[in-house]
Amino acid sequence: MSETFCYILDNGAYTAKVGFSNAEPKVVPNCIMKAKSERRRPFIGSQIDECRDASGLYYILPFQKGFLTNWDTQKTIWDFIFSKECCPVNLSETPLIVTEPIFNFSSVQEAMTEIFFEEYECQTLLRINATDLAEYQYRKTHNNECTVVVDSGYSFTYIVPYIKGKKYREGIRRIDVGGKVLTNHMKEILSYRQLNVMEESYVINQAKEDSCFVSQDFMADMEIAKRKGPTNTIVKDYVLPDYTTIRRGFLRDVVRPDEDLEQQTLRLNNERFCIPELLFRPSDVGIPQMGIPEAIINSIEACPEENMESLLENIILYGGNTMFRGFRDRTYNEVRALALDHYDVNVTLGENPVTYAWEGGKMMFRDPEFYSFCLTREEYEEEGRPLAFERFDI
Amino acid sequence: MTTRESGRVKEGEKRRVLDDAARKRRARKAVEALEQDNFHEDPHADLVMSKKVPKFSDSNEKPTRKKKAKSAEYYKMRFRKTFAQLVEEDASYRPEPPNYMSAQVGPSKFPDRHFCAVCGFLSNYTCISCGARYCSVRCLGTHLDTRCLKWTA
Repeated sequence: MSETFCYILDNGAYTAKVGFSNAEPKVVPNCIMKAKSERRRPFIGSQIDECRDASGLYYILPFQKGFLTNWDTQKTIWDFIFSKECCPVNLSETPLIVTEPIFNFSSVQEAMTEIFFEEYECQTLLRINATDLAEYQYRKTHNNECTVVVDSGYSFTYIVPYIKGKKYREGIRRIDVGGKVLTNHMKEILSYRQLNVMEESYVINQAKEDSCFVSQDFMADMEIAKRKGPTNTIVKDYVLPDYTTIRRGFLRDVVRPDEDLEQQTLRLNNERFCIPELLFRPSDVGIPQMGIPEAIINSIEACPEENMESLLENIILYGGNTMFRGFRDRTYNEVRALALDHYDVNVTLGENPVTYAWEGGKMMFRDPEFYSFCLTREEYEEEGRPLAFERFDI
Repeated sequence: MTTRESGRVKEGEKRRVLDDAARKRRARKAVEALEQDNFHEDPHADLVMSKKVPKFSDSNEKPTRKKKAKSAEYYKMRFRKTFAQLVEEDASYRPEPPNYMSAQVGPSKFPDRHFCAVCGFLSNYTCISCGARYCSVRCLGTHLDTRCLKWTA
């Protein structure tokens, strides 16, 4: 029953990372989208690439606040993912690794087990936290004792300390700021200041990815953004897609009014660094929570003191938000400033932040003990759900 | 006979001032709005799908799967629980921390920063009526004209 490859599904709230362990992962939007321009069909997952005009997209997401709640939507998307159109698989022959959020609710866990064994006729199943996979990869490549995993995703940011490969639950911290909050905040301020883009989540999300960066010195950047003329090195124009000649927007320098290029643009100035700033200071929009570096320290302080040194030396960042330019440096600088002086601090950005956990699954499959983590169909039929709760540490 | 008095004081008394509860309500609404998935109506909401329309598939083959796949609708009914229900359920299933609720981080020890509600730069002043922040007379003017007591979101 040892297969040479397995199927890994890192089921995120915004994108699912999916593929066989002997191939490259695909990043598929984990949602159904409806376009104004095409009235006949909804777009499931990566079908959105076929949509000619992605303005005013309407989102139907299976996740709410980071947890799976809309099962009909999720089932439709999984059917698409497992079909010929996306990444076909026969789960009765291939082991499956599927990820779940930390502290996933018990009834959601039950539903996961049931749907994979009974609907998709899975033979071997491993349900696991994405952070576990990330930690596994980090530990195997760094040979360290303790790790702090920072997963900054769409719905929230989790900080999970691991001691000798096991997560230390008392130290787990969640910040309710993720990519969704950033995009919504950006839409809100741009709609008030310039142009109503409240309906354009898809386009503004791209604008956010293309133009935002994490400031290293917030107050200094604010001063630069205030300047007029060429000394303001931050202000740029974001050219919006028109879906005839421009499919994806892009950032360009501000041009003089007389050389107008007849493109529809948004002027981005302090927005470029005030948006990602929310990850570091959620209180800027009235969310009464700590920012990421402060929460990292808070999490480490909740762990046994003898592990503090190793934890501070092994901080790994992944997830879509960590791809903002300057994210790692800012996190390092602030953690460095908050930690005691005689400790070393190391902050690593996952090589490919979006698929970092997925790659961890690939490594875990090669673990000689891999099958002892899994649940087989026979075991499930024999003992049912209680065994699933016992075996999977979610 | 006219009494001497300040024009600004007179003006100020006429102004409606939001109380603390209303300000908090507004702030909460603004934070809640950040969680929304869509800000417009389903563009296909008015489409009526007719069940009588014949369905065509690419091949003539009959589906050969042994077990009939359950519809998405079935799973919707089977695992129907809202987020609020799930949180409540979790509180009784895992009453002792660490759990979902206890993992949320507390407030920062750093003081809040305030930004102009209009232009986004640092602000030093607070609108008397609604408590929004502003940085200059110009921004205050914009704020009064557009959002102050008119904002409904």
